[in-house]
Amino acid sequence: MTLLASFAHEDTAVGAAAALREKGVEDFELFSPIPLHHADAAVGLGKSPVRVFTLAGALLGAVGGFALCVWTATRFLLPTAGRPIIALPPYLLITYETTILLGVLATLLGFFVVGRLPAWKDRAYRPASNVDRFVIAVAGASAGQAEEILRASGAESIERENAS
Amino acid sequence: MSSVLRKQMFDHGPPSYAEVNRDVINALTTTTWRYWLTLGISASVALLFFIAPWIYQIIVGVGAAGMNRNAMWGTYLSNFIFWIGLSHSGTLLSAVLHITQSDWRKSIYRSAEAMTLFSLMTAALFVMVHVGRLWFVHWTFPVPNPMELWPNFRSPLMFDVMAILTYLTASSVFIYMGSLPDFAAVRDASKGLRRRIYAVLCFGWRGTAQEWHTLGWSYTFFAVLVIPLAVSVHSIVSWDFAMSTVPGLHQTIFAPYFVCGAIYSGTAGIVTVMWMLRRYMGFGRYIGKLHIDNLSKLLLVLSLIWTYINICELFTAWYADTSFENEAILYRIWEGPFWWLWWEMIAFCAFVPLLLFSRRIRQNWNLMLVISIVINIGMLTERFVIVASSLPRKFLPDVFGTYFPSLVEISITVGSFAVFTTLFLLFVKIFPAVSIYEVKETLAPLRKREASA
Amino acid sequence: MSKITDTLRQYRADGYFAEFDYHWTMAIDLDQCTGCGACVVACQAENNLPIVGEKRMRQGREMKWLRVERYWEGDYPDARLSFIPILCQQCDKAPCEIACPVFATYHNQDGLNAQVYNRCIGTRTCAVYCPYEVRFFNWFTYTWDEPLEQQLNPDVTVREKGVMEKCTFCVQRINRAKDLARDEGRRVADGEVQPACAQSCPTDAIVFGDRNDTDSAVSRKMRDPRAYEVLKELNTAPSVVYLKNAREPLHAADGGGHHDGANAQAAEPRAAAAEPRMVEAESAVT
Repeated sequence: MTLLASFAHEDTAVGAAAALREKGVEDFELFSPIPLHHADAAVGLGKSPVRVFTLAGALLGAVGGFALCVWTATRFLLPTAGRPIIALPPYLLITYETTILLGVLATLLGFFVVGRLPAWKDRAYRPASNVDRFVIAVAGASAGQAEEILRASGAESIERENAS
Repeated sequence: MSSVLRKQMFDHGPPSYAEVNRDVINALTTTTWRYWLTLGISASVALLFFIAPWIYQIIVGVGAAGMNRNAMWGTYLSNFIFWIGLSHSGTLLSAVLHITQSDWRKSIYRSAEAMTLFSLMTAALFVMVHVGRLWFVHWTFPVPNPMELWPNFRSPLMFDVMAILTYLTASSVFIYMGSLPDFAAVRDASKGLRRRIYAVLCFGWRGTAQEWHTLGWSYTFFAVLVIPLAVSVHSIVSWDFAMSTVPGLHQTIFAPYFVCGAIYSGTAGIVTVMWMLRRYMGFGRYIGKLHIDNLSKLLLVLSLIWTYINICELFTAWYADTSFENEAILYRIWEGPFWWLWWEMIAFCAFVPLLLFSRRIRQNWNLMLVISIVINIGMLTERFVIVASSLPRKFLPDVFGTYFPSLVEISITVGSFAVFTTLFLLFVKIFPAVSIYEVKETLAPLRKREASA
Repeated sequence: MSKITDTLRQYRADGYFAEFDYHWTMAIDLDQCTGCGACVVACQAENNLPIVGEKRMRQGREMKWLRVERYWEGDYPDARLSFIPILCQQCDKAPCEIACPVFATYHNQDGLNAQVYNRCIGTRTCAVYCPYEVRFFNWFTYTWDEPLEQQLNPDVTVREKGVMEKCTFCVQRINRAKDLARDEGRRVADGEVQPACAQSCPTDAIVFGDRNDTDSAVSRKMRDPRAYEVLKELNTAPSVVYLKNAREPLHAADGGGHHDGANAQAAEPRAAAAEPRMVEAESAVT
C-alpha cells in the first residue's frame, strides 16, 4: 500500500518531507514539477555520485584518446611531412576531444545508474506532480504513522493506492 | 535574480504553472494547416535545391561545382564553416548561462540548443557534399578494418572529425537530458500513441527528488564539459585554414577570430529563431523584452570584438608589410572580384550592429529580426570571402586564377537553409520548444509571494 | 628495454626516417631550358593524364603534372621571357602530407611524396595546402576516345572522379629499376632511372638521380652555386633544385611594378622582378 499526499506549494511539501525524516520515516519519495534545490537536505541527498562517473569517463577518455592515436599510428608506419610518428601537439588535441566525449557519455551513464532510469514499469505517481502539485509518496509499513504527519504538515489531499 | 527582474521576463504578467504546461504542450500538439504547408514547402525546397543537385553532383563528379585547380575549396567549405559557426551559440550560450545561473536563459535555451544541433547536422552534410568520393567518407572514422589502416590523427581534418563528432554527441545529450522532465509532462497530458511514445522518450521520469538531484548534477557536468568543447570546435575548424601556408589563411589570429565570429552569428541566429517562435508558435508570453534586450547587448559586444579582430588582422598585415600578406589582403579588400563582398561584410557585421546602442532598437522585435538576418548574411559572406579571395592566388603568379560558384553550388547553398528549416520544423513538434520545468522554476519565487500574501 | 626506448626514439624522430634508402632528387637547369614543352607532353603520355578539352581548360581544370611557367619582363618589343618547369617538389616536409585525414598521401622510404589513389576520398585539402599548386583533382571521370585508350601506359593506373593526383617522379620506372637492381644484388646506378620528363628533355636541362650518392650527377648539380629551391622560405625542404644565373633586371628603374615583384621573385629569386601576366591561356599553349 502506498500513501500519496499532495501539496499545493513547494515549501509545505519540503516541510512535510523534513517532518517525516525527523520522525524517522525515510521510505518516501517527493515528486515535484520543478527541481527543489533546497529540498535536498530534507530528503537526505548530498553530493551526487554522478561526479565519480564524469571523472572516470574523462580520465578514460584522456588515456584512451592518446592511446588510440599512438596505437593506430604505429600499426602502419606512415610518416608525413617530417613530423614524428608520435607527434604530441596533434595527439593532445585529439585527447582533449576524447576526454570530453567520454566525459559526457560517462555522465550520461551515471545519470541513468544513479537516477535509476530508465524505468518503464508502473510505479506510484500522480500526473499532477508534473504540473503544479507537489506529491509525497510513502510506501509500506510506515504509511500509517506518516498519514498524521503529512496531514499536520498541510497536505491538500491524501490518497491510498494499492501497489500492483 | 530579484523577483522584479523575474517579472520582467514575462511581458504579459507571469503565468501559472498549469498555464505553462498548457501553452507549451498545446504548441506541440496543435498543428494547423499552416504548419503543414510550411513544412511541405521547406521539405520540397530542400529536396529540389539540396538533394537533387547533390545527387547530380555525385553522379557526374565534384566538377559540377565551380571549383577549379586554383580554388580547390569553394562555397561548400565556406558554408560548412558558416553552419558550424551558427551552431556555436546555442549550446555554448545555454551552458554558460546555466553555469552563471542567468534565469532569462530558461525560456529560450531549448530552441537555441536545437539550432545548434540542426546547424551542426547541416554542416556535416556540407562535408559530405564537399568530398570527392562520398562513398569512402567512413574512412575518416577510427573504425577497425582488415587493412589495419587507420585515419591520420596528425591531420587538421581529423581534429575536425573528432571535434564535430564530440560536439554533435554532447549537444544531442545536452538537449535530450534537459528535455526529459518535459517529455514526461507531454506524456501526462496526452493519450494513445503519443502517450506511449513519450512514455518511452522520457525513460519513465517521475520527478522524484532523487531524479531531479541527479539530473541537476549531470546537467551541470554537461554544461561544464560543453563550454571548452565549443571553443575548441571552432578553433579546430579555423585551423583547417590556419595550418596551411596560404597567404590570407595562414593567420595566428584565426582561432579566436572564428570562435568570436561563430558565437556572433549564432547569437544572431537565435534572435531570428526566437522571432519565429514568437510569431508562429505563440510563445510571446515567454520570450519577451528582457530576452531580446539581453541577446542584443550580447550581439553588440560580439560585434565589437569581431570588428576589433578584423582591425588587428589588417593592421598587423599592413605594419609588417610582407609582400605575400599585402597582396592577399589587397586582393581581398580592393583588387579582387569579391572586394564588394568584403565591404558588404564590414558594413553588415561591423556597422549595422552599432545601431544596437539604442535601447529602442534593441527592444524592437521586427527590427531585430532584420538586423539578425543582415548579420548572418554578412557572416556567410565573410567565410566565402576568406575562401574565395585567398585560394585562387597563393604563391606562383603563373597559376593565379579566379573562382566563381556554379549554379549547383548556389542551389545547394540555398537548399541548405531549407534543410535546416525542415529539421527545425520537425523539432518544434517533437520537443517542447520552451522548457516547461525551467520556466516554472523561475516562477517559483513569485508563486511563493502570492501564496504567503 | 633498450629495444623499446630505441623504437620510441624512432617514433619521436622528425620524419621517422633517419636516412632514405634512395633520396630521389631532380635538378632543373633553367639556363638550359628552352621552354619547348617536350617534358609536358612526355609526362602526359607516360602517366595516363586525361585530355580535358578546351572547355575545362578554360575553367582551370587542366591535368598537367608538369607545367612550364612563363614570366615576362617589360613590354614588347623590349621584353624578356623566362621559363620555369614546375612539378611536384616531393618536399621532405610537405605541407600537403599533414593535411590528409586518411593517409592517402605520405612520405615513403625513398623520400618520395606518395599519393595513394584508391585511398583518396577527395577532401582536396592537400591541394589547398600545396604552395606549388601541383596537385590535380579529378573533377570528373575522364575517358579516352577510340583509339586513344590504346596508348595508355599499362604500368600506371587511370584515376576515377573524386581523386587527387600528382607527379610521382615516375615511380613506376623507379620501382622497376629498383626491382632489377635487387635481383642483381646491387644498388640502382646513377642515370639508370629517368622520369619521362628528364628522358625527353632535348637540352638535358633535367637531371634526375639519388642525392644520397654524392657522386651522382644530381648531387653535383646541387653543389653548383647557381642552385636554389623554389619557395624555400616556406620550409618545405623540396627535392627539386633549380639552377639559374642571376641576371640584371631588364629595367632596373621600373622593376617592381604592379605585383610588387615578390611573387615572381619567389619562383625565380635571383631574377629580376617580373610582371606576371594572366598566363592561364598561355600555359595552355606550352
